[in-house]
Amino acid sequence: MNKASKILILAAIAACGLSSQAFAQDKGCIVLKSVAEVEEVTVDAKGEKSTKLVPAAKVVPGVEVTWTITANNICKQPSDKVTINNAVPEHMTYVANSASGPGTDISYSLDGKIFGAAEQLTVQENGAARKARADEYRHIRWVFKNSLLPGTQGYARFRAVLN
Amino acid sequence: MLQSSKILGVVSAVALALGLGTNNAHALGAPAGTVINNTAEVNYTVGTVNTTASSNLVSVTVAEILDVVVTAQTPTVAVNAGDTQQEVRYRVTNTGNGSETFRLVMTSVLAGDQFDPTPATPSIYFDTDASGDLSPGDTPYVVGSNDPVLSADGFVTVLVVNDIPAGVVDTNVGITRLTADSRTGTGAPGTTFAGAGAGGVDAVVGTTGADSEADSNYVVSGVSLAATKSQAVVDQFGGTRPVPGARINYSVVVNVTGSGTAANAVFADNIPANTTYVPGTLRLNTAVLSDGVDADAGDYAATPTARVRVALGSLTTASGPQTVTFAVTIN
Repeated sequence: MNKASKILILAAIAACGLSSQAFAQDKGCIVLKSVAEVEEVTVDAKGEKSTKLVPAAKVVPGVEVTWTITANNICKQPSDKVTINNAVPEHMTYVANSASGPGTDISYSLDGKIFGAAEQLTVQENGAARKARADEYRHIRWVFKNSLLPGTQGYARFRAVLN
Repeated sequence: MLQSSKILGVVSAVALALGLGTNNAHALGAPAGTVINNTAEVNYTVGTVNTTASSNLVSVTVAEILDVVVTAQTPTVAVNAGDTQQEVRYRVTNTGNGSETFRLVMTSVLAGDQFDPTPATPSIYFDTDASGDLSPGDTPYVVGSNDPVLSADGFVTVLVVNDIPAGVVDTNVGITRLTADSRTGTGAPGTTFAGAGAGGVDAVVGTTGADSEADSNYVVSGVSLAATKSQAVVDQFGGTRPVPGARINYSVVVNVTGSGTAANAVFADNIPANTTYVPGTLRLNTAVLSDGVDADAGDYAATPTARVRVALGSLTTASGPQTVTFAVTIN
């Protein structure tokens, strides 16, 4: 590559507003982690029950799995318009009203294209539209109302039952 | 002059095509061993740059759930004292989510009945030819040797065979039971057999406890048919002398007693020697029956031996007496 082209490329990069430092960073500013857990009930010596979440490795049909997604901002700048998307896993059915996430607006989708609040989603059945049921949701979306500040973490969670 | 008549009782068996197959009802569960993968996605903007990133891949493996259901398909079977090789039919269904081997056990020593059926040898068969009843094509079950292996939703049709003791009386009931249990393990729901499931996943006992049983009743249902025949002679001179040319009007009344059903009963009577059937005289109750073989219940045949025949249908005491009449002339 001749010197003139190199300069042109560098100029183009500068015009994009990318600093070389950011350009070299492959990871991006948000590190996203996902965890699947199940509730474990333990009964102590007094016979009192307590529940805690433990990693889900092998799950029996009928059991509820809790999915927790955490987003960490590892950059020095805030991340704006943060949106987390998660498809309801295969062979699982979304548990109604189980989606949560502090500071987020939650919406759902049946097809992954049209998202809406629970009350808004409709399904065509026998030529008429009816409200979609929670067990028909196949995608969940959390839109963060505020920017994710540097060094902070946001999270989203939902539960689904193994069919 | 009374003559005894021949009555044939024919029991028809309703054959249902059954065998190894799958139910239409969907059993619980994604297949055991299924690996469910899931990744979350985040979309965000830093300054003017929009970026999408994925989370780590999370994998959840489906464990095997152990469940089985036995249903009695012939819950009540009518028998007579001393009958042998009386089968009852069951369906054993794997309602779990993984392929599983089951052990079968039968017993006829149960409380709550008036007699214990006597297990035949062998006492358990598979309905191999799917005839719905015990037939030469059926394979005997030998525990530990041909335990049925059923896929999720799969089922097998099983016949349990007993003899009925002598000395039992009408309406006596004898119960026989088939039990199926999972070879991987049984127990309280939730009991886990680590790594013992199909494909090496954990096997967990489901709500059935991984075992199931169902009972069938043999009910002694005696039924007997008795025919009483009477005749009236009308000679051609207005009298009652049995001379050549005189007509004999026969009337046969068939009475039913007992608690059972005589299925597809047939009445047949030979035309007496030295007489000739009078065409068109065959009647069942009030119905006129044509002599030819057709859709109605009766017919007359001259060969090989002259006889009348009337199908009486399935008779119980509720059917009431059945009257067959026909006439002959003395040769």
